[in-house]
Amino acid sequence: MSLGTGSTHTVIVGCGNLIRGDDAAGPVLVRQLADRALPDGVRLIDGGTAGMDVAFALRGARRAIVVDASRVGVPAGTIHKVPGEELTDLKPPEGNLHQFRWDQALGFAQWLLKDEYPPEVTVWLIEGESFGAGEPLTPAVQDAVNVVADAIVADLTVVS
Amino acid sequence: MTTMELNVSPLGQVEGDLDVRVQITDGVVSDAWTEAAMFRGFEIILKGKDPQAGLIMTPRICGICGGSHLYKACYALDTAWGTYVPPNATRVRNIGQACETLQSIPRWFYAIMGPDLTAAQYSSFPSYEEVARRFAPYVGTSYQTGVTLSQHPVEIYAIFGGQWPHSSFMIPGGVMSAPTLSDVTRSTSILENWGRQWLEGQWLGCSVDRWLENKTWSDIQAWMTENESQANSDLAVFIRWAQEIGLDTYGQGYGNFLATGTFLNPDLYTNPTVDGRNAALQSRSGIYANGQYYDFDQMRVTEDVTHAYYEGTGSRHPWEGVTEPIDPAEGAKQGKYTWAKAPRYDVPDIGYVPLEVGPLARQMMAARPDAADFQDSDPLIKNLIDELGPSVMTRVLARMHEAPKYFRNVQRWLKELDLHGEFYVKPTEPSSGKGFGATEAARGALCDWIVLEDGKIANYQVITPTGWNIGPRDANDNIGPMEKSFIGTPIENPDFPVELGQVAHSFDSCLVCTVHAYDGKTGKQLSKFRMGGG
Repeated sequence: MSLGTGSTHTVIVGCGNLIRGDDAAGPVLVRQLADRALPDGVRLIDGGTAGMDVAFALRGARRAIVVDASRVGVPAGTIHKVPGEELTDLKPPEGNLHQFRWDQALGFAQWLLKDEYPPEVTVWLIEGESFGAGEPLTPAVQDAVNVVADAIVADLTVVS
Repeated sequence: MTTMELNVSPLGQVEGDLDVRVQITDGVVSDAWTEAAMFRGFEIILKGKDPQAGLIMTPRICGICGGSHLYKACYALDTAWGTYVPPNATRVRNIGQACETLQSIPRWFYAIMGPDLTAAQYSSFPSYEEVARRFAPYVGTSYQTGVTLSQHPVEIYAIFGGQWPHSSFMIPGGVMSAPTLSDVTRSTSILENWGRQWLEGQWLGCSVDRWLENKTWSDIQAWMTENESQANSDLAVFIRWAQEIGLDTYGQGYGNFLATGTFLNPDLYTNPTVDGRNAALQSRSGIYANGQYYDFDQMRVTEDVTHAYYEGTGSRHPWEGVTEPIDPAEGAKQGKYTWAKAPRYDVPDIGYVPLEVGPLARQMMAARPDAADFQDSDPLIKNLIDELGPSVMTRVLARMHEAPKYFRNVQRWLKELDLHGEFYVKPTEPSSGKGFGATEAARGALCDWIVLEDGKIANYQVITPTGWNIGPRDANDNIGPMEKSFIGTPIENPDFPVELGQVAHSFDSCLVCTVHAYDGKTGKQLSKFRMGGG
């Protein structure tokens, strides 16, 4: 987790393993955003594979934006913005700290943070194709990362 | 005689999975096979890369022990390059390593052991209601505070390391960190708050100092009834419960251990070398086999691939190690059954034996005679082993006992930091060399071996604690440490073999599995049971 400032209102978390091919979409996106001009009060987090810690990092933010890779069998680079109604009442995971998926991390965060859970949560999923150790992002996934990064920046500028 | 097989099989996800088949005869586990279902090719990725690539890559192997991976990857390079590491940098590295483990201790106890401890199967035992009230996942009173407060130790890591996990702030020659007085003050107050609220307030029910006075099992028994606060602590409740449901009677394993030790002495390891490491360790390394202690010598470590999906048979030292994966279907024809190599240690006069790593191993080494003044010398857990034998219960107690010990360590290192001193000295970077770095992750010994040639990584081998514990059979058909510890476990209800969860979780391997119960004679699947990894 990176260190936040006292006035963080938006937390952007990239989840996934940086060295497992397309699973790196989230962390790569967060690194790209770090090189761009963002409004004050935005905190970027490389959530890596530490799901439980993602939940702690959301404490007290007004907005949370989570980016993760998916593997549901659609073409690589397919972008999915999870509808808000899918994000209420998520279930925390059972007995496993290594493999929190984004929905489990948010479910855990709802349990953990209670009133301090961000009122506004957006989840972007980018479909991956190849998850081999040490592989780069496949081109379609890299393109999708750029598209999502642009969408997030545009959205931040409007709201902030 | 009734024989059945319980098959623990994988869930395909990113970090790697474990598949355990267990054969049950007359209600007791009679044989076991651990099968790592995923190939992790980190060694192959690192070959030919910049020498420092291990600092970036290996902390990504695990989302739980990233700081431990960084600690040992850094020492592998320190020894290969012959760096100078200022004492302050060693203190900061030690603080990072210890804080990561401090975070892991309550999380593991409540989130990993908790669901097993409160399994419905135990509901007829007298203390069930009290145990469930405290430890039931998400709703238990102690679960809630223990897990909620668990974040605090790694906040200290983030103060020094910028982030946790996956930080790369430890570098050859020191740390990329210039702590200020307010960083140290903040860290100290975070640590002490956590100590007061969870460690003393909830877990021990007494001061850290009072707990550390316990040197024997009978001391612990007296401690449990000394006053109401201690009797009502989570720790005392756990000990009574463990005995009530029999966690002191199974999960033994070999009772032979290996620790690579950790926490280098800041003043004695300013010029890290492979040979000088043992003497500079605060938390000592060593081997305990067949009742004897031996010095740890990394040259005696090998990895055996006879039963793993790699080219060939036999074993090699990691500096000569090769990672040449083969098609599992081909491997199966040669009696291979896992992606995990079998780490073995050549014990003098005994030969290559499987050894358990983890908190129990570390605390056995802490009891070894003839410690130097600065080294941890602590007879408690060895006494438990002598009195009660290894078991799920003693394994859990060894890990939990480290919380007060590490808490004291971090307090001391924070005090000793000299904010005006050096934290980094730029090393020269010889283009060739060999290095060895090791530490103790929460779940056990973690080592890197590196070979540099022409300014690039020529060979890189990692042996993880999960590798030591879940490794398969070797060329001599010695079964692995965790395989061994399943044997003898009584299975009350094959439809819900919670006992296997207790054993697996007491090792806290980094892998996730699902248990399938099979009748060994008919091959019919009886049940399916998922066990979470650490």
